[in-house]
Amino acid sequence: MTVAPARSPGTGTAGTPPAGRPARARAGAYPWVMAAAITLAVCGAALSLNGVLRGWGWYWPVATTVVVVAFTLAGLRALRAQPLLVTAGGLLALGAVLTLTFFRGSSILGVIPGPGTAAELDRLIRRASETVLSETAPVAPNVGIVMVICAVLGLAVILVDALAVPLGMPAATGVGLLALLVVPAMIKPQSVGVWGFTVTAAGYLTILACSQWFAPDVRSQAGPVRNPGQLRRAALTGAAALTATLLVPLAVPGFDQGTFPQGSRVNPWGTGTGLNPMITLGNSLRTPDGSGRITYATSASTPLYLRSVTVDHFDGESWGPDDRTASRLPLGGQIDPGYAVLTDEQQQVTAIDTGTFSSPYLPVPYAPESVRGLNGRWTWDPATLSIKGSDATASRRQEYLVTSSVPKLSATLLEQSSAPVRDVPDDFTRIPGNVPEIVRSTAARVAGASATPYGKAMAIQRYLRSAEFTYSLQSPVQGGYDGNGLSVLADFLQQKSGYCIHYASAMAVMARLEGIPSRIAVGYAPGRLTGGTVTVAGQGELSEYEVDARDAHAWPELYFQGLGWVPFEPTPSRGVVPDYASEASTPAAPGAVENNDDLVPDPAPAPTATPSATPAPAPGGGGGGTDSGAQLLPWLLGTGSVLGVLLLAASPRLVRVGLRSRRIRPRDPVEAVPQAWNEILDLGEDYGLPRDPHETPRGYAARLRQSLLGEPGGMDEAAHAAVASVTAAFERHRFGRPSAAPVGSAVVDSAVKDDAGRSRDAGHSRTAGGRDGGNAPFAAGLGALEGSLRANAGAARRFRAAWLPPSVMGRLGRLAAAPFRLVGRAVARSAKAAGRAWTGKSRRSTHDGLRGQGGG
Amino acid sequence: MESYRRTANDVSAANRNLAGVADPVSHLNGHRAAPMDPESFHDASQRILATVNTVIDGKSDAAELALTVLLAQGHLLLEDVPGVGKTLLAKTLARTIDCTVNRIQFTPDLLPSDVTGVSIYNQSSRLFEFRPGAVFANIVIGDEINRASAKTQSALLECMEEHQVTVDGKSYRLNEPFMVVATQNPIEMEGTYPLPEAQRDRFMARISMGYPDRDAEIEMLETHQAVSPLAKVTAVVSAADVAAMITTVQQVFVSQAVKEYTVSVGRATRDSALLRLGASPRSMLQLLRAAKATAALDGRDFVLPDDVLRVAEAVLAHRIILDRKAAGAGETPHTVLQGILQRLPVPQAAADAGTRRGTSVAGLGTQR
Repeated sequence: MTVAPARSPGTGTAGTPPAGRPARARAGAYPWVMAAAITLAVCGAALSLNGVLRGWGWYWPVATTVVVVAFTLAGLRALRAQPLLVTAGGLLALGAVLTLTFFRGSSILGVIPGPGTAAELDRLIRRASETVLSETAPVAPNVGIVMVICAVLGLAVILVDALAVPLGMPAATGVGLLALLVVPAMIKPQSVGVWGFTVTAAGYLTILACSQWFAPDVRSQAGPVRNPGQLRRAALTGAAALTATLLVPLAVPGFDQGTFPQGSRVNPWGTGTGLNPMITLGNSLRTPDGSGRITYATSASTPLYLRSVTVDHFDGESWGPDDRTASRLPLGGQIDPGYAVLTDEQQQVTAIDTGTFSSPYLPVPYAPESVRGLNGRWTWDPATLSIKGSDATASRRQEYLVTSSVPKLSATLLEQSSAPVRDVPDDFTRIPGNVPEIVRSTAARVAGASATPYGKAMAIQRYLRSAEFTYSLQSPVQGGYDGNGLSVLADFLQQKSGYCIHYASAMAVMARLEGIPSRIAVGYAPGRLTGGTVTVAGQGELSEYEVDARDAHAWPELYFQGLGWVPFEPTPSRGVVPDYASEASTPAAPGAVENNDDLVPDPAPAPTATPSATPAPAPGGGGGGTDSGAQLLPWLLGTGSVLGVLLLAASPRLVRVGLRSRRIRPRDPVEAVPQAWNEILDLGEDYGLPRDPHETPRGYAARLRQSLLGEPGGMDEAAHAAVASVTAAFERHRFGRPSAAPVGSAVVDSAVKDDAGRSRDAGHSRTAGGRDGGNAPFAAGLGALEGSLRANAGAARRFRAAWLPPSVMGRLGRLAAAPFRLVGRAVARSAKAAGRAWTGKSRRSTHDGLRGQGGG
Repeated sequence: MESYRRTANDVSAANRNLAGVADPVSHLNGHRAAPMDPESFHDASQRILATVNTVIDGKSDAAELALTVLLAQGHLLLEDVPGVGKTLLAKTLARTIDCTVNRIQFTPDLLPSDVTGVSIYNQSSRLFEFRPGAVFANIVIGDEINRASAKTQSALLECMEEHQVTVDGKSYRLNEPFMVVATQNPIEMEGTYPLPEAQRDRFMARISMGYPDRDAEIEMLETHQAVSPLAKVTAVVSAADVAAMITTVQQVFVSQAVKEYTVSVGRATRDSALLRLGASPRSMLQLLRAAKATAALDGRDFVLPDDVLRVAEAVLAHRIILDRKAAGAGETPHTVLQGILQRLPVPQAAADAGTRRGTSVAGLGTQR
């Protein structure tokens, strides 16, 4: 039937051969459609790089590169170039488009690399590698990194194309696409993202569909019929997998953030080890479990901030601590802050155990005077008092005792400190050159009206803590301004959503604009009581606190003449606002600020009084009831979803078992024979012998008995007999005289009679029929058949037959494909109709033309 | 030349024998025999096959097919190289049945009247008297049918189709059962008149005997040295029995599904690109009849697609004509038919919902 159209051109009328046209059209459209599919897939994968690179500016060079390379390949293929030449042409096109985009200055005619291009390339690659080494996602899209990404994506296009077309392995293109998706999956907190993943998957499926549809290789053209079901099956499988990927995370507890679980991010380097604590801070805050636990015990009466390092350089795209290696002093005796404090100071002793926290900087309370008990070589910076290990010395497994002094500050004192700032290094007052306009205008608007430095600082803090701003760890990542730097700051002031690093840098930069020396301190917010105590010599028992990565924090320090560096807390719902920085209207309740972690004991009772006090209830918590309720719900959810998953896993088996019992004992006895036959077909399919539509029932039964059962007369005799009797009964039912087919034991008897020379079978079947009556004549036989099949099959096949029976899986697939099939059929019908209308019209027009000519 | 003469004598001798049979235009005509019950049918067919197999070694398939054709009221064409037992098979089959047998050795000078019979003026009664030809028998063996002239062949072929002979405007019914077993030698084609397609189409099936296998050949040498095995063969069933068996075959049930399958076989041969000429509608009828006989021989009273498949090659292979390109590519009618049959979907109640609905509808149809 299908060959008829192939034959018809021979007998067809002269003129344009109808067969030639589709053949040529097929060869012509294929490369272009494939190029579009590859472009879709690679551009989709590139979408997910959005959080790796900041903003969207980099996307157009990338998209251009991908499109140019893909369509160059398609063009060469349309010209029927050699496969190797096509790939080489793709590489050349990639080189040309990269040259045009990035090295136009040093190139010849814009597309050919010139003599200076090599040096330029070297510079860009160096820049990219610097970016990779020193920054974390999202990085600023500088020329180097964009060039590298363009090159990589161009190569990915060539790779995917080579896999899909000349090598004929379209399924393997997934590897190339996966390689692209691995980068965001590992770097971004919310992994690949819905859009990137969806578009990539859609592109991949289109690639598969194209290769299937156009079937460029001879293998798939061997069959006389191109199976239209294959495309449908591919689409169905893909859609089902995609739906499952998007739905399963919703159903499984713990996958509540991002498209993919946050835990999937691979972080083999641990936390807190980065050279730039500013950059690792966001990631530390987002770690689901607190790692890098530090415990400390202090004599301080106020909540204690542990400071690691300060950031004071606000230039450049990304900020980092300035080590001032030249001016660092070895840690030995007294640490001198370098400025005079004109008020009373309070001595504090803090014992710190860093545990597994690993960083070159030592967390200490400000301002340290002496540090004892350290191992290794440590240096301190006179300008910032940050303590840093030299050589390989790090903070891991250090136990030390810090004596620090804190000035007794009050709002009045700060208010009075309006003297101009002296003897502060330029580093802390220099205003960076490229401050965005929004930062300047905001600073002027918020703090311009205040007279004193303290008033300005309080105005800025009040502004940042107002209801306009929300604390969010995720929105900077989603908005693409995670990280730090002046451009980030501008984004933050627009979005008004971020976390401590944004608030701290905003306050520090705005304070500097208003003339107050400032820097950003990076360290830890006050932690929680552990309930234990530590005995410190000379101080007695001190209650112990703990902090971990989730307490990582950044806060601004502002310099006031005569009082030194004073910390502020502009971040809402984090840390503790110090007394002096609280609003004057609420001096009576210094600790009662909105505080996410108000587990810090009230300063009023002595912290040592109840060292083993139970932690205060969770915010908003009414008592134990809600606590247990809150704990019960996740349990219920978890158990429910585990059960759901188990049910889902077992559902094919359940369906199969239900189907079997219905077939063995059909409600309508007329159906007994065909249902028994269906059961044999399904059993055969489950054990790896699917039905061939070109096979007669008898042929299938013979094949089943030969390949899945042992020798007749042996252990499997009952199974052989069952197959024989069911087959004979089915043949009679299907092809026999309709009136002569009563169901039940009569059928079995006649079936057995047909099966000449099998007296044992007859006895067996008759007993089976007799026991179960007319209702389930084949129950025993089918049971024996299944037993024999299981005994003869290997373990893997047995497992699959029991839990993923192919007969059920295939039926589910067909069921789910039904809507697709309907749509496909409708589309095919309309396409055929349109084609007919078109050819009819064109034929008529040529006829008209001929007639016209004849007439003329 | 001499051999021809001798064969011509044979024919006349046979005619004389025939004349001795009382009322050759037989009593079996007119009414249909009562069908045979399944057990007797099975016994009778087994007796026939067992007897034939004692004579022809290692050719039980051919014997069964020959019996199938007999019961399906068809005619058989045996085509093979000389000396493989074509004529022996025909003769043995004929002797196992207690019925009249005629053998015609076809020669170029054989006349149509030798086959059909002739009207002779009887001087004593002063009337034209019909002398029946060699075709008036239950089983007619036509040896080397391609050696006779086209005219003579046509005379035989008309008898085969019509089961009657018309001489001088008067029709004479032939005996029932009536079966022609013709042999043909495909090697020595010189000076012969090969059967044209239209005439090959009259034969229900064509069998190539093929050489026996090694063991069968050795056994043949041992047992057939002294005496012809044919001599020991006696009739095991009567002509009336055969007529009853034929009636049984006619009553075998054919379901709608099998009819559709048979038609789809024919359509597939006509649509095949490898064939210049597909199977004719008449051949579909004969295919189904042969399938019914196969089913009956298998002990069933209904036809399975397997029965159709089993006889399809023998019934169809000599009717189809290969495309020149396919023939050049080394295809034979048999390989082409096998390919077509392997790709043809078989009707069966399927496991999935869609086809199950279809079959239940079909079942309703047959019940109605």
